[in-house]
Amino acid sequence: MITHRTRRWFRFIAALLGLVYLVPMIWVVLTSLKTKQEVLKDPNGLVFTPTLDTYAEVVGDGIGAILTSLQIAVAVTGVVLLLAVPAAFALARRISRRWGIVIAVVLAALLVLQMVPQPMTVIPLYSVLASWGLLGSLGGLILADIALLLPFAIMLLRPFVLAIPPSVYEAAELDGAGRWQTFRRIAVPMLGNGIVTVLAIVFISVWGEFVYAINFLPQGVVLPVSGLLAQQSSVYSTEWNSLMALAVITSLPLLLVFLISQKRLISGLALGAVK
Amino acid sequence: MSLALTDDEARPVEARSASAAPRSAGSGPDRPRADRPRPGALRRVAARTPIWFLVPAAGLLGGLAIYPLIVLVRMSLSDVGPTNIIGEWPAVGVDNFVAAFGDAELWAAIWRTLVVAAVLLVSNFVLGFAAASVLSAGGRVTEAVLALLVFVWALPPIVSGSTWKFLLDDSGPINTAIAALGLPTVSWLSSPDLALYSVAAIIAWAALPFSILVIRGGLLAVSPELIEAAALDGAGFWRTQVRIVLPLIRPTLGILAILTVLYAFKSFDFFYVTTQGGPGTTTTTLPVLSYQLAFNDFQMSEGATVALIAMLAVAIFAVPYVRAVRREEAGS
Repeated sequence: MITHRTRRWFRFIAALLGLVYLVPMIWVVLTSLKTKQEVLKDPNGLVFTPTLDTYAEVVGDGIGAILTSLQIAVAVTGVVLLLAVPAAFALARRISRRWGIVIAVVLAALLVLQMVPQPMTVIPLYSVLASWGLLGSLGGLILADIALLLPFAIMLLRPFVLAIPPSVYEAAELDGAGRWQTFRRIAVPMLGNGIVTVLAIVFISVWGEFVYAINFLPQGVVLPVSGLLAQQSSVYSTEWNSLMALAVITSLPLLLVFLISQKRLISGLALGAVK
Repeated sequence: MSLALTDDEARPVEARSASAAPRSAGSGPDRPRADRPRPGALRRVAARTPIWFLVPAAGLLGGLAIYPLIVLVRMSLSDVGPTNIIGEWPAVGVDNFVAAFGDAELWAAIWRTLVVAAVLLVSNFVLGFAAASVLSAGGRVTEAVLALLVFVWALPPIVSGSTWKFLLDDSGPINTAIAALGLPTVSWLSSPDLALYSVAAIIAWAALPFSILVIRGGLLAVSPELIEAAALDGAGFWRTQVRIVLPLIRPTLGILAILTVLYAFKSFDFFYVTTQGGPGTTTTTLPVLSYQLAFNDFQMSEGATVALIAMLAVAIFAVPYVRAVRREEAGS
């Protein structure tokens, strides 16, 4: 059993662990609130007047990047949901033994697809998109992102569909509802939580994706925020203030979701899949 | 990293009662209902199963996830360079693989990937188990730390990567702090001897929250009676954790171990941001090597070959993973 003294120790260790994660974040935010001169003069000073100048500059220069990010994220999240919700519905209904086999095969395939490392899919996708004439277009990048996140979204949604008791469907079917109606009128409204969770997680992931973005977008086209961050931090740079501001902007959707509904995010992730 | 902990899988009884399909009665093709016209084969399937709900997703994944994997295999068996990415791919058999395995750089990359995997395993299991044990006690501090861990876990790797690139810079905050203590500064990311371990540590930092949350989930499922019984026998907290709880959560740990190794074979973002495989090639792991061959040198075939070799390693771990997940689903 945990004694009173160990409990105090535990609280101390937990707090220590928290600091290991909190301090780097705070440092990022603090640095993003410094000016270029301050970063050059004393990069790690603690005494400075916080200013939003860096953000104004980064957003001013990078408004195109933010718009690109928004376009990509909205399109990808929308299509992923449109495809994943019906697919999860189909994969959660064990209506016959043969369909059960289909489900098992598809689920195994999805698990494997989720495991394929992205640096390995980027190579063949490059040539596939090129031969389809989609390389160097926003559409091609969006398609690639959809394929990247769809398996994950389906696996995340499926438990939410499974949580709907089969008797609900049976009642609807007794009332003469077709499958589409059962889906539209019964399943989708009951999946509100799951859909919001997947929406948030897919949006956060697309916003932070950069490997496809830096390879599939044409030269000279405005990169999304994540791509900009990847590009700028991969070259040697001392403008840490703008780099860190970019990092904050890249985590903005996560920050928002987290502040609005942290509980839902946690329980959603715990129920469904763990990234 | 991904881990699907779905609860339901096989529920034959329920499925049987839920389906009106005349499976047991029908010999040969299922009898169509009398009140419906006899449609074509596909339509009959569609009438019985929600296949059309699955087709759009399956089609897209077929074209943009499964087909590219086939292309990857073809690439590795052909000679594809900067000039013929679109065009004819002359077949060369297994030449690329022979060349790759004869190259010391591949073996060095495999070794570095294994080093990263080892660092991750130690961190995810030792630190992960200790932290999960501490965090399963509850309380306000715990809640706050857990929330923070979830946040870090959901943070895009590009963000955590650039954060640590900044913190570990030669004149960055950590070195400044070290210098302030009067100690010699450390070239975390620019020393050939140290860089691999520094990046591995960054990845471990980013992966630890996931591990803590998974292990904690396993710990919370252990029945409190068992732990109380052990306590009555006079066993201390850590003794109970290691002797009694640890064996009980072995299935969870098994899945976590597989995912951890996979993560090492997948990790690319962190290397891309922090070291780009350098200094020299000292942090070039398998995914980094395949990416650089394909996109820096445009030797697509060689990149594809290394990618497939890495995937082979992933596949070796994928089989027990898929099995374990299915067993977990069936068991709960």
